[in-house]
Amino acid sequence: MIALLIANSLALASLLIMLASGLALIYGLRDVINFGHGAIYMLGAYLGYTVSLVGGFWLALIVVPILLALLGIAFEYLALRPLQGRSHIEVALVTLGLGIILGQVIIFFYGGVARSVDAPQILSGSVTVLNLSYPVYRIFLIVMGLGSCALLALWLRYTSSGLYVRAVSQDPSVARMMGINADRLSLLVTSLSTAFAGVAGVLAGPYLSIDPGMDVTMIVNCLIIVVIGGTGSIGGAIVAALLFGFMQVAGSVFLPNIAALVPYILLMIVLLVAPRGIGRGRVLN
Amino acid sequence: MSNRTTTAASERVAPLGAMGGSSLRVPLTLVAVAIVVVVGAVAPTRFAGDFVLRLANEGLLLGMLALSVAFLMNQAGLVALGAASIYGGSGLLFAIAMNDWNLPPAWALCAAFLIIVVYATVLGALIVRTNPLAFMMLTLAAGEMISHAVMLEALRDYTGGADGLVVSFKGTVFGMEAADFASPARFWVVMWVAAWLSGLALWAVGRSRLGAILRAVRENEERMRFSGFDTYLPRLIAYVLVNIVAAVAGLLHVLNAGFVSPESLGISVSTNSLVAALMGGIAGSVGPLLGGVIFSFAQDEFGARGLTQLLTGIAIVVFIVVFPRGVVGGLSSMAWLRKLAFGGRRETS
Repeated sequence: MIALLIANSLALASLLIMLASGLALIYGLRDVINFGHGAIYMLGAYLGYTVSLVGGFWLALIVVPILLALLGIAFEYLALRPLQGRSHIEVALVTLGLGIILGQVIIFFYGGVARSVDAPQILSGSVTVLNLSYPVYRIFLIVMGLGSCALLALWLRYTSSGLYVRAVSQDPSVARMMGINADRLSLLVTSLSTAFAGVAGVLAGPYLSIDPGMDVTMIVNCLIIVVIGGTGSIGGAIVAALLFGFMQVAGSVFLPNIAALVPYILLMIVLLVAPRGIGRGRVLN
Repeated sequence: MSNRTTTAASERVAPLGAMGGSSLRVPLTLVAVAIVVVVGAVAPTRFAGDFVLRLANEGLLLGMLALSVAFLMNQAGLVALGAASIYGGSGLLFAIAMNDWNLPPAWALCAAFLIIVVYATVLGALIVRTNPLAFMMLTLAAGEMISHAVMLEALRDYTGGADGLVVSFKGTVFGMEAADFASPARFWVVMWVAAWLSGLALWAVGRSRLGAILRAVRENEERMRFSGFDTYLPRLIAYVLVNIVAAVAGLLHVLNAGFVSPESLGISVSTNSLVAALMGGIAGSVGPLLGGVIFSFAQDEFGARGLTQLLTGIAIVVFIVVFPRGVVGGLSSMAWLRKLAFGGRRETS
């Protein structure tokens, strides 16, 4: 029972980690919360649906992140860079507007009905581990989530570009004085972040349903995670995503009546106890 | 007093007492305003049809929401994305108070209003101490929380779930019957007066000491704290104040529509009011109200083709990108012109 609970919450947390760490990455470099991230995730899911129909799930898992990385580059050049001098709140509002536009465009093309994607043959069915039968796809999800999380950590910790990202996130002006090109980094980070959203979108297909409201649901969940984790802290976001996933899953088991409210209750408690979140995010103003 | 002349305080256009200059100008302005108020209240009911009046009523309702969003943006630099939860929530509570608690309409109105104000105060106490970006995220989350709560299976008997609630009352509220509120022409008078009152109230607060403190905190919270000001309470008061305006709008909406739907709690209401505020301009009281009316007529024009949401998104982007000085942080047309003329670098914010 407990093992099942933990496995389920890990599966959910895997998706959330990919999205929330993408948000935290952009935030670290640009001080901007991308309110359109949910719509990008939704685009990833719908594109994943289309590509899966044409060329199968595995192709979708490769093609969609690449397409969305290109979208991220466009986002960087057309939105983030021209608006660099504007206040962060205004840029955040612009991303909110862009997210609404993207969401509506998706609904225009795909209509308002929910879609579903079948998991590939290898990943369907379930496997028995320690006398527990568990869906293979969720195990795959956990592996992907934790794997990308580990890759991200390795990149940030052991490569020079990762070092620069951490430096800019910690203190943008000093990092620039040391000769770090924040614009070039931002291009990398933004495309990485949208590519991650694409991976999450494709992975969400066989796990959750693909429907027109998924962008708002996901962005709200991610914002809660980012706030709980301490704005801009990637480590905090990961811990918060795990916590969030566990609360969500445990809530639906033990408190089915108010399960939908559990994340918000968690948020309020964290705000009461630690208004800055649990991670050590950069104190901002 | 000298230590209180912060940048924001000195930026105030003119102190209230100096507005008239001569003793004649104040009465003249007052007379002009009075004429506009009276003519505006009466004339449309004579000349405009029910359909146009209905749109105008909806526009002013949205305008009141826009007013609350704009005031907080302009004075405190905080963007609230949760107006819908107050707007729809107050209406829903009004319906519940009558249907389930068997309160008479006037009492139900008061109860709904009080509960919403308490909710806004508690929520505000939690979230106004965060930074503006987190504030924006948290208001969005809180709004979603309320719209999820309404849809909970356990509360379905109270809230009506996805079906919404019909609000019908017998007797009178403020001397008006249900039929009076439902009539576009009679409701227009109520709506017009309510919009003016809330506009005037927020305008007065903006010019008061509280407004000056809010703007100073918006510019530099740390400096204000060092100068010995409480930066928390003024923002909390402002947050509660704008939510009172939103709650009044929500109650008026329900009295008029006789129905409260879960859509009135949805995120699109919040984004619509944001757009209306940006459209009308966030400085001042007339702009947001006008923005609401423009939005309402525009929605009627384009909404049939299902384009409302798309246009909302486009409007947010366009209105923010086109105003170079920035919409948040006070929009002065002079600075805008100067920027156009010299194309100089924007001051850091």
